[in-house]
This record gives sequence, C-alpha cells and structure tokens, in this order.
Amino acid sequence: MIVFGCIALIAGCGSMGLWLAQRVRRRPEELRGFLIALTLLETEIVWGATPLPEAFCVLKERTSPPWQDFFSALQLRLERGDSAGKAWNEETSLQRSRFCLKEEDWRVIRDIGKGLGRSDSQEQQKQLQLVLRQLSMLKDQVGLWSEKQAKMWSYLGFLCGVAGVLILI
Amino acid sequence: MSLHYQLSAIQAKNVSPSRSKQESTGWGDMARWFGETVCSIFHKIQGFEFREAEEIRLRVGQPLMLRTSDKDLFLNREGQTTSPDKAYCITMADLTAALEKMTQSSVYAVEEDLRQGFLTLPGGNRVGVTGEAILQKGKLLKLKHISSLNIRLARDIQGRGLRILPKLCRKDGFIYHTLVISPPRAGKTTLLRDLIRLISNGVPQLGLEGKNVGVIDERGELAGMNQGAASYNLGYRTDVLDGCPKAYGLSMLIRSMAPQVIVMDELGHLDEVEALKDALRTGVRILCTAHASSLEEAKTRPTLAQLLEEGVFERLVVLNRQTGPGTIEGVYDLKTGRNL
Repeated sequence: MIVFGCIALIAGCGSMGLWLAQRVRRRPEELRGFLIALTLLETEIVWGATPLPEAFCVLKERTSPPWQDFFSALQLRLERGDSAGKAWNEETSLQRSRFCLKEEDWRVIRDIGKGLGRSDSQEQQKQLQLVLRQLSMLKDQVGLWSEKQAKMWSYLGFLCGVAGVLILI
Repeated sequence: MSLHYQLSAIQAKNVSPSRSKQESTGWGDMARWFGETVCSIFHKIQGFEFREAEEIRLRVGQPLMLRTSDKDLFLNREGQTTSPDKAYCITMADLTAALEKMTQSSVYAVEEDLRQGFLTLPGGNRVGVTGEAILQKGKLLKLKHISSLNIRLARDIQGRGLRILPKLCRKDGFIYHTLVISPPRAGKTTLLRDLIRLISNGVPQLGLEGKNVGVIDERGELAGMNQGAASYNLGYRTDVLDGCPKAYGLSMLIRSMAPQVIVMDELGHLDEVEALKDALRTGVRILCTAHASSLEEAKTRPTLAQLLEEGVFERLVVLNRQTGPGTIEGVYDLKTGRNL
C-alpha cells in the first residue's frame, strides 16, 4: 500500500511538472503561429487590400488552434459591426486563458489593435512590421529560455514527488 | 478592391422584383452605419418617413442634418426635428465611428475611393467625404482629418424610363446613342437604372426586344453590387463590371461580353472620352450620364464638348428638380435640336 502511495505521489508530481513543461514549450510555438498569421495579415492588407473581416477569415483558415478561434471570433465581431480596435482588445482579454503566452507577449499583441484598419496600407504595413520585429525578438529570447524552463519543470515535478515520498517515509 | 458587406441597406419606392428585399430597410437599417449616439438618434426618429430623405449630412461641429427634396431638417438627440441651434452637434468621434462602420474598420481597402472623395455602401448609397487633402508632387495622396460625410440615399424608382424610352429608340428597336444630363441630385442614376432594366428585359409594347447590356459601374451606384450579386434589378441580360474605371471597362466589356448597349454613369474624364470614341467603332450603342444643367452648359465642359461637337450622341435627356428629383425637362434630338 505504501509502495502504491509513493508511486502515485511521484507520478502525480511528475505529471504536474510535465504539464507545466508542456505549457512552457507551447509559448514559442504560439508566438511562431502568431508571427505567421501577422505576416499573412500584412500580405492581405498591403497586397490584397482585403477588408479586415475577410482577412481574418483567411487567417482563420490558415492558422491552427488556438489562433484559429481567435481570428474566427474577430471575424464574427467585425461582421456584427464592432470596430477592429474594440474587437481586438476584448478578444485578447477574453481568450487569454486559452494561450500560454505571458504578459510581455500580450502587451505587444494588444498594441496591434490600436491602429488596426484605421489608416492607409502604407501606415498599416509600418505598424505591422514594427510588431513583427518586436515579436521576433521575443520569440528568439523565449526559444532558449523555454527549453531550459521546460526541462527544469519536467525534472522538478518528479524530484518534488521523490522529495515528498522521502519526507513522508 | 471594394468592400464586402454582410448586410445591405437599400431603399425602396415602387419596386417590384426586389421589393421585399428593399422594404426591410429604413432608419433602423441605416443606423447601423453610425456610432452609438447617431445610431440611437436614427432609431428614435418618428413621424418622418425614411423614403422622404435624400441625404444625411454629418459635419464636425455642425448639427445633424437630413435633406429631403424640398427642405433641410435638423435632428436632436431624441430623433425629433428641431432648429439648428437645438439639434445634436456632430463630433469628430461620431465621424470616426461612422467611417469605421462604413469601411468595416478597413480604411486601407477604400484608399482609392477616398482619394476620389467617396465610398459606396451596399445598395449603391454613396458617401461623399471631405477632409484635409495631403498632396505629394501635386497629386492627391490622401485625405486626412475627415470633417464631413454626405450619405446620398439611393432609390430604385421604376416607371420613369418607360416614359422616355420610345424617344430613345427606333421602331425596329435600334437604340440611339444617348446622353442624360442634370445637375447633382436630379435623378440621373435612378433614371439610368430604370432604362438599363427596360432595355435588358425588352419592352414588347414598344417592339423593343431585350438586349445584352454591359454596365460599367465604376462607383458601385448603379447595381449596388454586394459579393457578386446586384442589389438592384438591372434586367435579365445585364452584365455588371463593378468598380472598374470606365476607360478600361469599355474595351473589357466589348472583348468579353459582346454587349449591344453599354451603360456608364458620370462621364467626366478625357481618357473616358477617348475610350468611348474607340468603342463607338465596334457597333455598340452608348447610354451615359454627365453633370450639366443644360446643353449649353454641357458644351462648355471640355470632355462633353468634344463628343457633342463630333455628333457622337443622337439623343440628349435633360433632367431637373422642378417637380422633385427625376423631372424630365426634355428629350432632344441632337441632329435637329428639336425637343421630342
């Protein structure tokens, strides 16, 4: 019985560690997904002069979850008559829990909503390029950091389990 | 690229084929294009029919104004007509919100239209825009600090075309090259729309068989195209080239759609005149409109003078607003100068 208890404790803590590690690993992936989406959005705006609802529909089809749902919600809100800025801000707040991004990432992402669709294509391109550069830098920093953090959480989970067992015994 | 709207706002008056679609419109439907405050004012309007309005004017710092055929009305916050000093005063925020709604937060997608001073809402309702012009090397780069919007409500009034059509075609169904002129707001586009439908469907009592009609709808007012579907009934045999400059559209239509009649709204540039003269050599019949209040005035406009001197047009229709928009002042035979 004690053996089973020890195994369960180690497995539980280990799983928790693995889950946290997986969340840490998802952050650069989500940033990468958003960078791709933003590049597509830039193409639609600058080269296609595609109105935002239609551009979000394109992004929805060409991205994977959770960004897919994010752009889908934006498309619906714009078609209902919401302004792009309002829709962007509200959706970033509403859907935040579905992502593994950190506050520093959201700060950059939220900035996009401030001028989205409110100026000519040249101006839009400049704004999007600025955000793309900031996010690329963030992604590069996060890449190395997340690998280390993920390993740490994986080990730490199991080690906490073992420590718990030792304390209990 | 034109904007794709999910919902259209079209106004109806004595319409048959698309009547049900158009009847659903009114102040509530028009209100969707404005920010919260102006939207609520339009929702509260009572005792004043939507179909009576011709224009909605929004000017920053000025009262919210509606224009009917014979008077200007000012609205207060309760949607009641009042004096200008008691009316609701339009703010920059109202204008920005309206522009955001009208462009679906995609100003960049209507850059080219804004450069020309307008954008078109579904149903062909045209929104005139003024602001501060930014020039680069003498050319208009863009408009910023937009200060006025003029929403011109499009109408589909049927029947007027039938009154003048016998004067625009021979008994064997041959259509004369026709120019329709009038000052702004006198019903050129509405009349043209009616003529397109009649020529396209044919009028048996006049011995007029239906003809292939090609419409170059540069400003999206004639057909009110929305995602490939026309908001107005332009007839069975009508092909619409939406948002295309007239100078390009003429040769495109002739090459690809074999039209018998080509229709264009608001002829005004020299390149359009050149393209039109070229098109005349292909055997198509031309029906178009231009701004001018009389033949004499039309002759003073460089673009029209050239065409009139060369005898390109055989018929001239002059409209005015004496008894409301679309009043037909006269239909002239340009060969003899006689009012038919």
